[in-house]
Amino acid sequence: MESAGRRVQFFAHLMLIATAVFVLFPYAWMLATSIKPIADVVAWPIRWLPRSVTLENYAAILSDARFLRSLLNSAVVSVVVTTLSLGLSVPAAYGLTRLVKRGGRGMLIGILASQFFPPMVFFVPFYVALQAVGLLNTIPGLVLAYLSVTLPVCTWMVATSLRDIPTALEEAARIDGCGDLRIIWTIVLPIAAPGIVTAGIFAFVLSWQEYIFALLYTTSEAAQTAPVLMFYLLGQHQIDYARLMAAAVLLSIPIAIPFAVIQRLYRGGLTEGGVKG
Amino acid sequence: MAARPTVRGYLFATPLIVVLAAVVVLPALYNTGLAFLKYDAIRDSWRFVGLGNFDKLVGQDGFWNAVGVTLIWVVGNVSLQLVLGMLVALALNAVTSFRALYSSIVMVPWVSSFVIVAVVFLWLYHPEIGVLNDVLLRLGLVSEPVGWLATPGMAQFSLILANTWKFFPLVAITLFTGLQAIPRELMEASRIDGANRFETLRYVIVPLMAPSIATAVLLSAIWAFNAFTLSIIMTGGGPLRATEVLGLYIYKVAFDSFDFGVAAAASLVLFVTILIVTVAYLRVADPAQETKG
Repeated sequence: MESAGRRVQFFAHLMLIATAVFVLFPYAWMLATSIKPIADVVAWPIRWLPRSVTLENYAAILSDARFLRSLLNSAVVSVVVTTLSLGLSVPAAYGLTRLVKRGGRGMLIGILASQFFPPMVFFVPFYVALQAVGLLNTIPGLVLAYLSVTLPVCTWMVATSLRDIPTALEEAARIDGCGDLRIIWTIVLPIAAPGIVTAGIFAFVLSWQEYIFALLYTTSEAAQTAPVLMFYLLGQHQIDYARLMAAAVLLSIPIAIPFAVIQRLYRGGLTEGGVKG
Repeated sequence: MAARPTVRGYLFATPLIVVLAAVVVLPALYNTGLAFLKYDAIRDSWRFVGLGNFDKLVGQDGFWNAVGVTLIWVVGNVSLQLVLGMLVALALNAVTSFRALYSSIVMVPWVSSFVIVAVVFLWLYHPEIGVLNDVLLRLGLVSEPVGWLATPGMAQFSLILANTWKFFPLVAITLFTGLQAIPRELMEASRIDGANRFETLRYVIVPLMAPSIATAVLLSAIWAFNAFTLSIIMTGGGPLRATEVLGLYIYKVAFDSFDFGVAAAASLVLFVTILIVTVAYLRVADPAQETKG
């Protein structure tokens, strides 16, 4: 029994190490390509160890005005979508879970259900509507399109985290004469912070990486986001993969950081099982 | 301030509901209407055509091609992700050390940007200077470079592999959470009763995990139905439309042919299909949930 258990452990670790290689290799290769001189990038058979390490690919992509512009656009869209998503979903989640006596849950489910429309349902309506109000090829137009995805999910996430928090503190505050806004600001925000941060990160990451809506609604250079620009770099006659991988590394960083934050927030949750088992 | 809590509650939710109505409900209704209308260029107006758009849709070869491609795509993705996700979940459940580290690493693809996945896999799959071919050639597993995206069959397989890389983490973690909920004593009891590891898996673990397996399959299937970023970037639907899934087909009908009515009709068909799959699956999964409780 003892040795059988050890054998299982061995195979489980083997499986997970193989999975880790499968998962991390694309990133490792992306990073490796991005710091190789171009001559080594196109060498065949592949030169696994580059003759020298260079930052010239990063310098090239960072001196491309279009790339910088698209980064700025992506940053603006992501920050605005995140702010609006939280600004609308936190009060709504508070109102529907804490104040509404009956029907709040049904409403929340209705809000979440609106997330189940496939994105294709919105392709044409958004296009027509944005064109009609003059927001096609603008950042505000893209923000509106993203809100259709982030709002239902953020509201649900915040509401779920509120449900797990006892209401005693809020009731005490109310007896002391606090109004709703003050309760949200001083009690709900700090206590529900992990859920709210997670919702915010969801909104940010979605807007940072979304591609199809961006491709449809921001064809002009002025409003183009970074993922769309990547697509245009790919469309060039001679694809410069070294530069593309440098761009991919740069675009991954704003996602890697929030991911690390989430990991920290939920470290307890992930390791909990280990203690239980 | 003196208003009843319920009234204040709905007041707090009003801004959200107004915005949702504008960006979700109205567009969805508009799309539904569009599916039954046709643009009349001569009179510059929309005309009700009943099921005309659906009629036109089912008359197009492209539609039936997309249906077939989507079927392969969904079934391929769901099965590959379920197998890989289950192996990873069982391994995560078995290890007694480094579990948090492993699960963090496993989640990396899930938080990866889709465009970056597409670009990086294009580079890995590169027919002339791609690293995947280099490794296979060095290991002697193939004798000449593989055209990963060159033939219809290979392109379908390669895209499913890339999408599985992106999505299997969620399947693995969903299954792992389900596994964690199974009392260890049950597995031990089954072993003591003489069942081998496979029998324990087959007759104890899998039935008890039915709800989380259902959830994982459902998530993976819905995702596969909706996702076409990989095909639009990596193959553009080719070769020979072999990777033109329904999402991409709708995109092309709407913005290459500008046939909004037919595109709306096709998106409704997709929506209803997903709805049916969801409801059917929840039905199947439900009895299992009852036996669990």
